[in-house]
Amino acid sequence: MNNVIEIRQLRKRYKNEFELGEINLDIPKGYIIGLIGENGAGKTTLIKSILDIIKIDSGKIKIFAGENYMTKEDIGVVLDGMFFPEILNANDINNIMKDIYKNWDKKLFYQHLDKFKLPHNKKIKDLSKGMKKKLEIATAIAHHPKLLILDEPTSGLDPVVRDDILEIFLDFIKDEEHTILLSTHITSDLEHIADKIIFVDNGKIILNENKDELLDNYGILKCDIDSFDKIAKEDIVSYKKNKYVYEILVNNRNKMANKYKDYVVDKLTLDELMVLIIKGDKQC
Amino acid sequence: MLGLIKKDILIIKSNLKLIIVMLSVFFIMSLQKDFDISFIPPFIVVMLFISTFSYDEYNKWDAYAVTLPNGRKNVVKAKYLASLILILLAVIITILLNCLSSIINNHWEFNEFISGLIGGTFVTILIQAIMYPLIFKLGIEKGRICLFALTFILTGLITLFSKLVKFRIPIDLIVFFNNYWYIILPLFLIIILSVSYKISEKIYSTKEF
Repeated sequence: MNNVIEIRQLRKRYKNEFELGEINLDIPKGYIIGLIGENGAGKTTLIKSILDIIKIDSGKIKIFAGENYMTKEDIGVVLDGMFFPEILNANDINNIMKDIYKNWDKKLFYQHLDKFKLPHNKKIKDLSKGMKKKLEIATAIAHHPKLLILDEPTSGLDPVVRDDILEIFLDFIKDEEHTILLSTHITSDLEHIADKIIFVDNGKIILNENKDELLDNYGILKCDIDSFDKIAKEDIVSYKKNKYVYEILVNNRNKMANKYKDYVVDKLTLDELMVLIIKGDKQC
Repeated sequence: MLGLIKKDILIIKSNLKLIIVMLSVFFIMSLQKDFDISFIPPFIVVMLFISTFSYDEYNKWDAYAVTLPNGRKNVVKAKYLASLILILLAVIITILLNCLSSIINNHWEFNEFISGLIGGTFVTILIQAIMYPLIFKLGIEKGRICLFALTFILTGLITLFSKLVKFRIPIDLIVFFNNYWYIILPLFLIIILSVSYKISEKIYSTKEF
């Protein structure tokens, strides 16, 4: 079994009419999977569904450890703004968690606290946002999980702390049995570490590809307003009209660069890809 | 589950200074012979324990807790057990404080104290049994309001009922209760706590966070 998570025909509808689904998704073992999409696209709903924090309307979610189903003992979690009551401190967390997880590793927990320079006795509410996030991550990995599920683990953090946190993830993934699923809207983080990108928009998965292939394949063709009609409609995935130029999202970048030699076909970032797919006009 | 019980007790412990001050004030008051301390500590436990729900809700703890092993079942179980442990602790502290004030006053009067303590503990557990399912269903704020409304409506209905129907408790029933209260009260509490626990467990098993 090479998949850690298998999701089939998942649907979840909220009263405010937002609907997730239908989602069919495989999360392979040993990868860092980045879940991207704008705020409210459904990333958190998908993560909450996987973790049983919300109840799905229909479909199936299976989480595996080898041939068997994974238990919650094997999953480490970091959620956005959901953690221990702020009146507690790191020592309290150790005290509590050692009676919750069979594999809780006190030594590893304190090693991470010291590595992240986190105080043991300071209440959570007195920690900075970055320190709090590091504490959440230290807590999530101290019971030797096989799967880490992280919702916006780097949001609101400065680049230095973000870099520290990404290093922790890269360290964790060294073991090939480990997998990370993380959602973020800071796509530049994923450009550094992710193996696969899942793009969620309006409750649906609209892209699910290897990051390198994705960034190699797609390109951004720039042309002036008068030249736009010279681009074949079938070559345009989507486009955005700026004041003086058109930015056109094209697939098969090298082929397009050969075909349209008079224009620049650049590589694009995940951010640009996201903006062009979400906000760009589709060619009819 | 032991970890989750610890979590609530650690939250209460972080208010230890406040608890000691409150108990000291009540203890000094109890040195006046007319003041009965017996019902105070269980009452403090209810107030403090309900604050653990507020902390949980404020920090969205429940969403995190359900991702822990056996999260949904253990959260509910731990809340009931932790509050019972604290009530037991409060009863022991009350007895010790009463002994101390009796020594200082050189005045031993146990009957009144014990009946006050039993009454206080009984009401405390009863309030919790009614309140927990409400909190699990509606959240701490709405749950609290609902409890007040429920108490108000029930009191009103009972008063109305007793005025409309000239109801008198049969004397035999009072004698029976006086003879067997030590069986009736615990049995009643066990039944109402079990029902309350089952309702809370059912609510929490499908709750979304």
